[in-house]
Amino acid sequence: MFFLRICLMAGRSLQANLMRSILACLGVIIGVAAVVSAMAILEGSSRDVISKIETLGADQVFVANGTTQRQGGRAVARMSLTPEDATALAELPSVKAAVPESVAQAQVKYFEKNQSVQLLATNEHYTQVNDYKTIQGRVLTANDVQSGRKYCVLGFKVAQKLFGETPAVGMRVRIEGMGFDVIGVMEKKGFLGARDVDRQVIIPVSTGLERLFGTEYVQMITVQARDSNNLEGVMQEVKRCLRREHNIRAGKTDDFQVITREQVTSQVNDMIRIFAIVLYSIAGISLVVGGIGIMNIMLVSVTERTREIGVRMAVGARRLDILVQFLIEASVISVLGGALGVLLGFAFTDLLENITQILKTYMTTWGIAWALGMAIFTGIVSGIYPAIRASRLDPVEALRYE
Amino acid sequence: MIEARQLYKLYRMGDSVVRALDGVDFTVNEGEFVSITGASGSGKSTLMHILGCLDRPTRGVYQFRGQTLNTMGDRQLARVRNKYIGFVFQTFNLINRTLAVDNVAIPLVYARQTATRKAAMAALEKVGLSHRARHRPGELSGGERQRVAIARAIVNDPALILADEPTGNLDTQTGGQIMEIFRRLNAAGTTIILVTHEMEVAVQAQRIIRMRDGRIVTDEMLNEQRRSALRAEVMVVG
Repeated sequence: MFFLRICLMAGRSLQANLMRSILACLGVIIGVAAVVSAMAILEGSSRDVISKIETLGADQVFVANGTTQRQGGRAVARMSLTPEDATALAELPSVKAAVPESVAQAQVKYFEKNQSVQLLATNEHYTQVNDYKTIQGRVLTANDVQSGRKYCVLGFKVAQKLFGETPAVGMRVRIEGMGFDVIGVMEKKGFLGARDVDRQVIIPVSTGLERLFGTEYVQMITVQARDSNNLEGVMQEVKRCLRREHNIRAGKTDDFQVITREQVTSQVNDMIRIFAIVLYSIAGISLVVGGIGIMNIMLVSVTERTREIGVRMAVGARRLDILVQFLIEASVISVLGGALGVLLGFAFTDLLENITQILKTYMTTWGIAWALGMAIFTGIVSGIYPAIRASRLDPVEALRYE
Repeated sequence: MIEARQLYKLYRMGDSVVRALDGVDFTVNEGEFVSITGASGSGKSTLMHILGCLDRPTRGVYQFRGQTLNTMGDRQLARVRNKYIGFVFQTFNLINRTLAVDNVAIPLVYARQTATRKAAMAALEKVGLSHRARHRPGELSGGERQRVAIARAIVNDPALILADEPTGNLDTQTGGQIMEIFRRLNAAGTTIILVTHEMEVAVQAQRIIRMRDGRIVTDEMLNEQRRSALRAEVMVVG
């Protein structure tokens, strides 16, 4: 009851100085909005990335080029993987399939229609390993890959953009100026790994690697294990095989890396964590600034109301009552600021998502509760000093104050 | 009700010591109407602050209703002020953003009472201001504001009212009305101590204490004859 009355008193005194109260809130509003947005962006992008990684098979290990070569103190990719490595890996007893992959941006033309796509040079196992099927025509065969045919398979959206409703199979398109026959169109799939495969065009790795990618190396080899419980063993076998293929002598380091889906996930999580520290530091600083704003306003308020404090003491307010009253006033500011900050955070993340179109955000109730809690904490912490000052006033001095 | 024995209040001002109270002895019985008068700097305000438990004497004993107050802590003094003492100030000291009735209710809030509005209305009734209860102090005249302040002083039904120059900011007629309210409260049994430098106001009490330099110079009961004499004294000086 007493508490409620004190809250009402606080509300009234904030109302009496409306403009000032709004200014005091502003810092907290911005601070909380920053915290909420940071959380939404982190949560959203981490969910987005993790869900994309999850589309990779749990029975796969990934072989990438090494990063040991240094140029001017900076680690750069040391290209070493070849399509032949993939063929060698596929012959290992524990390996079911090995898929070389190289990706580049490319222009696909069909008469006057021009489409920007991700060009994937790979072998016949790619579609099978990823359980990825056609809706028209067929996928690449071992024969297509071995003989270096100028064949291509279009992703769902690519076919739609270039051919609309008419069948694409049998048509001839130009990829970066080179003629390719369309032999198939893939189903609608969405993301596989980090790529939207509906916007992708598949060609045999033997056909365009040197002419379209300007290199004899591939960017990556995906290895599918026969037994998903034995990834560790497969990794060892893959390493041994590649060291042999690349003629690496004992004692020398690998010129490639072998990783699993779990390792990719944990690497991504590490990156997100660094990103989180940066974002939260910025958000935290703005909350601290908000707290300083509250403290400032409360100090002014205490000074201005010295006489009122004296009167309250004269009619029987204990020092603790005065302390509580000013603390509650600071808390009311921070709670209001926090609530408005959450709303502003919602609006801001929505805007970000709409403007960028790629940034994914996700608001958790837990995160909102946390941001509000931080706001209240800030309010109380920054209200303590002014409240203590108010409660320590000498009633006689306070009553005499002009 | 009030027993003051050898009260001293000393302030250090640079190298010298100011004796705001320099050995004050007096007694006030329940139901008395006493005025304390003197020039500014005579120590009357300091005395009132100590009597009102807002301040402690440097030395001496102050007993209020049989309790020795100068050894009490802040918390207990706040409780004594809340329960037994009502203050009326020269500048009213109302909270401007708050309705008259809520101003009156403030002591009840600190007394942790419920139904404070009802009691506050009753107090406003006693000073004849219940019709202005829902106005803010800024919308009231000086006399009305002082009546709100008196209502706030009596809302807890205190044993003692301490009034510090209550008519100082009012014209003579309005001041008279305020004094009339004090006389009525006194007739109903409340002890009143009035601090003023105006002899015209001071002589309206039953007893007058005159102070100078932190000491009591005269302490006398007033009858009609003495009242007239004191009034005449003021006229001559004026």
